[in-house]
Amino acid sequence: MANEITLTIDGKQVTVPAGTLIVDAARELGIDIPVFCYHPKMEPVGMCRMCLVEVGRPMVDRATNQPVMEADGTPKLQFGPKMETACTTPVSAGMVVIGMSDKVKAARNDVLEFLLTSHPLDCPICDKGGECPLQNLTMGFGKGSSRFEFEDKQHNQKHVPLGELIYLDRERCIQCGRCVRFQKDLADDPVIGFYQRGRNLVIDTSSEPGFDSIFSGNTTDICPVGALTTADFRFGARPWELKSAASLCNHCAVGCNLTYNTRREAKSDGNVVIKRAMPRQNEAVNEIWLCDKGRFGYHFAESHQRLEKPLIRKDGELVESTWDEALDMAAKELRAYGFRFVSLASGRLSNEDLYEIKQLTENLHGQACLYSPMAGGDLTPLIGYADPQGLSRVGKGTVIVVAASNLHQEAPIWWMQVRAAVKRGAKLIVVNARSTRLDKFASAVVRYRFGREAEAVLSLVPAAETSGESGKIIAAAENLVVLYGSDGIGLEGSRQVAAASAELLRASNLLGKPGSGLLPVWQRANDQGAWDTGFTPVDDLAKVVSEADGVLIAGADPAGDHPAYAAALKKAKFIIVQEQFLTKTAQLADIVFPVQSMLERDGSYTNGTRRVQRFMPVVEKLPGTRPDYLVTAQVRQKVVHSNLEFISAAQVFMVLAAHLPDYQNLTYATLMETVPQHPILGRSDVYYGGTSFENRQGLGVQLGTAANRRDKYSLPAAPSTQNQLPDLEHAEELMAVPVAELLDTGTITQKSVLLGKRTSTPFALMHPKTAQQKGLAAGDKAKISLAGVTYQAVVRVDESVPTLHVLLPRSLGIPLDKPVLVKVIQ
Amino acid sequence: MNQTATKYAREIEDLFAKYPADRKQSAVMPLLHLIQRDFGFINKQAVRDVAEIVGITPTEVASVVGFYTLYHDTPQGKYRFQICNDLPCALRGADQFLAELCKSLGIQPGETTPDGMITVEAVMCLAACDKAPMFQVQGPQGITYHENQTVEGALQLTKELAGKEVKA
Amino acid sequence: MANGVYEMMRGLWQTFRSAWTKPVTIQYPEVKRQVSKRYRGRHALKRYANGLEKCIGCSLCAAACPADAIFVEASEQTDENRYSPGERYASTYEINYLRCIFCGLCEDACPTEAIVLEDNYELSFETRESAIYTKDMLLDAVSAPNQPTPRKVKPGSFNRSVPEMKDPVD
Repeated sequence: MANEITLTIDGKQVTVPAGTLIVDAARELGIDIPVFCYHPKMEPVGMCRMCLVEVGRPMVDRATNQPVMEADGTPKLQFGPKMETACTTPVSAGMVVIGMSDKVKAARNDVLEFLLTSHPLDCPICDKGGECPLQNLTMGFGKGSSRFEFEDKQHNQKHVPLGELIYLDRERCIQCGRCVRFQKDLADDPVIGFYQRGRNLVIDTSSEPGFDSIFSGNTTDICPVGALTTADFRFGARPWELKSAASLCNHCAVGCNLTYNTRREAKSDGNVVIKRAMPRQNEAVNEIWLCDKGRFGYHFAESHQRLEKPLIRKDGELVESTWDEALDMAAKELRAYGFRFVSLASGRLSNEDLYEIKQLTENLHGQACLYSPMAGGDLTPLIGYADPQGLSRVGKGTVIVVAASNLHQEAPIWWMQVRAAVKRGAKLIVVNARSTRLDKFASAVVRYRFGREAEAVLSLVPAAETSGESGKIIAAAENLVVLYGSDGIGLEGSRQVAAASAELLRASNLLGKPGSGLLPVWQRANDQGAWDTGFTPVDDLAKVVSEADGVLIAGADPAGDHPAYAAALKKAKFIIVQEQFLTKTAQLADIVFPVQSMLERDGSYTNGTRRVQRFMPVVEKLPGTRPDYLVTAQVRQKVVHSNLEFISAAQVFMVLAAHLPDYQNLTYATLMETVPQHPILGRSDVYYGGTSFENRQGLGVQLGTAANRRDKYSLPAAPSTQNQLPDLEHAEELMAVPVAELLDTGTITQKSVLLGKRTSTPFALMHPKTAQQKGLAAGDKAKISLAGVTYQAVVRVDESVPTLHVLLPRSLGIPLDKPVLVKVIQ
Repeated sequence: MNQTATKYAREIEDLFAKYPADRKQSAVMPLLHLIQRDFGFINKQAVRDVAEIVGITPTEVASVVGFYTLYHDTPQGKYRFQICNDLPCALRGADQFLAELCKSLGIQPGETTPDGMITVEAVMCLAACDKAPMFQVQGPQGITYHENQTVEGALQLTKELAGKEVKA
Repeated sequence: MANGVYEMMRGLWQTFRSAWTKPVTIQYPEVKRQVSKRYRGRHALKRYANGLEKCIGCSLCAAACPADAIFVEASEQTDENRYSPGERYASTYEINYLRCIFCGLCEDACPTEAIVLEDNYELSFETRESAIYTKDMLLDAVSAPNQPTPRKVKPGSFNRSVPEMKDPVD
């Protein structure tokens, strides 16, 4: 092929695409060219000079423009007088690279000596010690001892907290700028930067709060020295003492692959505890990145408020009981009330749990409800975005539409990937009622008033009269990805947006291409799995619950989220709750089964792109608890006298795979298959990609869609373009709409002390005019009265927010699951 | 509120007129000059204000302040005597000049006289190697070069500056 | 016959002679044996002359230990509560003497010469738990009463965790 180039590195030939850098080409051959500043996910800068190699190119006769040949007929090579940086030099045909000569070794030795002139050599107490590129490369290429006296070295501050999450050791910094470039180029949060210059150069932050970025943890992975370390892992353990367990992040629909490092320690009463979460490379999901919520939000597993014994209600009080008694009671009551049975589960549960609950619900002829304000999970098996490479390779020719989603807060890693896709040439259209952080990368921005989401999405259909510029962009698209979220909408709004997005995709005539499809930004990790196993959200959950005889709630706390649900649950005759904590919902239950967190057991999640991925047990299970699927299976066994054959997650998954057509042929073994990924990262040579882990525990399996298989399917009719919300012009009240906030106070995040310091305060985001109208200004405390209860929120203003609306965060104490009218006063 | 924006509203408008509308960040350096001219240094609040005005992060503005040696982030004397003591100047006695000047003023290099008028500091090359010992004076009026200096001459200059101050 | 008597007398002469030599046995535990300078007995965690602990909790001894006998947990310290120089100290330090083979590799690995195998060979245990020596059992006594750890020190006076060290001579 014309765009493939063959070159020789250290005597071995390799063929790589044109434009590949020498350092990456060498990597393909398994030849290590050490680097500090270069990172395969970022633009090269050639700052550290560690990668100097000798480069020879075929000599060309200037007069004839013909290659000069040696006597034996081989091309004559011309080596430059100086060495070249392998990280900035692209390969060229016939190039010969010498990556390991005495000259190269001497250069590396010198570079290392310069880097170490003021490096403190406190490796024994450094958190990076043991997985430190500088340490490793010094062992490989450096001098045995330093020529610099300690007193002659430059001494800088050793312990600089850059915000609550990241600590900086300025002495250890080698000024490679990886962190600065990551924050600027990939995270778009240039909140850390160089300060001063030359020998005095330090990394500094001036943001408020310090290092104000939700991607900050990644800088500690890619820092080639121990300059940036997390506050979470500070002096937690030495890296070689840690055990690894592959897991998944359960905070959002991206489904980031991560590896938990655990250790049994005296500090934690001799228990095995998680010491840190590290990304595990999966180019189709999270590449090698994690957001701070995923990285630091695992502390829920350590909470001491966990339930350890089943609780049953006796004389109106919840008392501790035994498993046998509680299971018997559950079965007896369910047999008595079994005719109007409702199960309510959320995407916090794994596929296995959800499948078992669904089976029980079917046995009892009940209704399986999904606790989610988002619709469209029935469309994804038909027209979902199912590119096996995920969003990480999207580029030129693709148009990405992000509708009704504040992606930065709803799914940070997807936000980063969408932004990277735009950099690679993809076109972005943002459809949102207010400005979001994606707007500045968008080719077109479509604004609407809340309630008219579907209309706005439909206006993009190229044939539509109103489509305009964005319609033209879509008409020229080779691939179309439509992401929709839940920014400012409830279930009904979500249903409209989903249908409108499906209509947009259908009208684009791009369905059936693997790079096109619908991608819902679910709120929970396994919402898609819940849809696939047969759960659907219901419009009036309170009504459904209050009319039920028996209710099974798992992985959800409706009573804690909304007083209306609490009231409804009080009306239900009999409630079983499967929970880790004594939540408000659990307090209303008749039976509470203590279950294990995902960190104590195995299972599988289906992420937003419908990639089924597996997680393994990380820590020891809390005595007395059982996994959700087992609890449900045991209840079911007693209710319908089914066989309890399926007692391990793997067995449940086998049955699930046999019954769900899309999951056919899937087993835990297939989920654990891996293929070589590029760039090659995460091995012991941490200098190249950082300390992310190599993925040896499974990349998961991407499910196909009906459209891609060319099956027959039918989509819902295009939604009406009518305003879904009442006219506000003359109302006294404001329309409150719920929006997502990444660092909220959900059941899981609030247990993390570190993240707690970064948790948002409840806010009320309004148009300045609306605020003025209500006598409020930015920073004021507003009282928001909602269904007779008053909540406090700090006023924020944004001119892009439609007037007469107020945006309130979900899961920050204000119960809001759909747009409602509220009174806002001073 | 952004006091810098209010205070320099007219200057900011003039500055922005010089640059394309989508390249507002080009005005960072002239803006910092404005602030430093009036205050002698650029404090954290000013950094935040400038960042808001030009639409970049405070960290990026701070990087600019840190990179250029003529911007200062700490309050020092009103006039900064910046003496070059790089190698060629040192060969012509710059180090000795620096030491003697400091001794005469009763301060250490990098320190400020008690009246807050003069700061003496050693700096990198000022491109006048052949005329060393030399220094530049950075003050509210701008930067002036003083070449082929003697300690007496420099002290005379400090007196002149102090006299000017009294008159003003 | 005469030969037999001779042999017997020769043997008894040995006995007779030994009766007058100094015995090798000692009256342990009243009398304790002097061990060689390089004897490897029970470990001790040493202190600097100023009373601060030498151990910085780096776990290199645990990494070097072929018998996995050492367990270290580190924590952060401040100038208000200072145990050792630098930012880090060992909050837990345990040696399991049922596992220890007294090879001395921990001593070699230690970057601060904090752990030293000394001449104490009196190790006997009745339970498995009592074979685990904790930090307070291993740590040397404070040389002066006004130098306890943790203690409050002047901020910034002990920033260097790993000191400059000459190659050990013995």
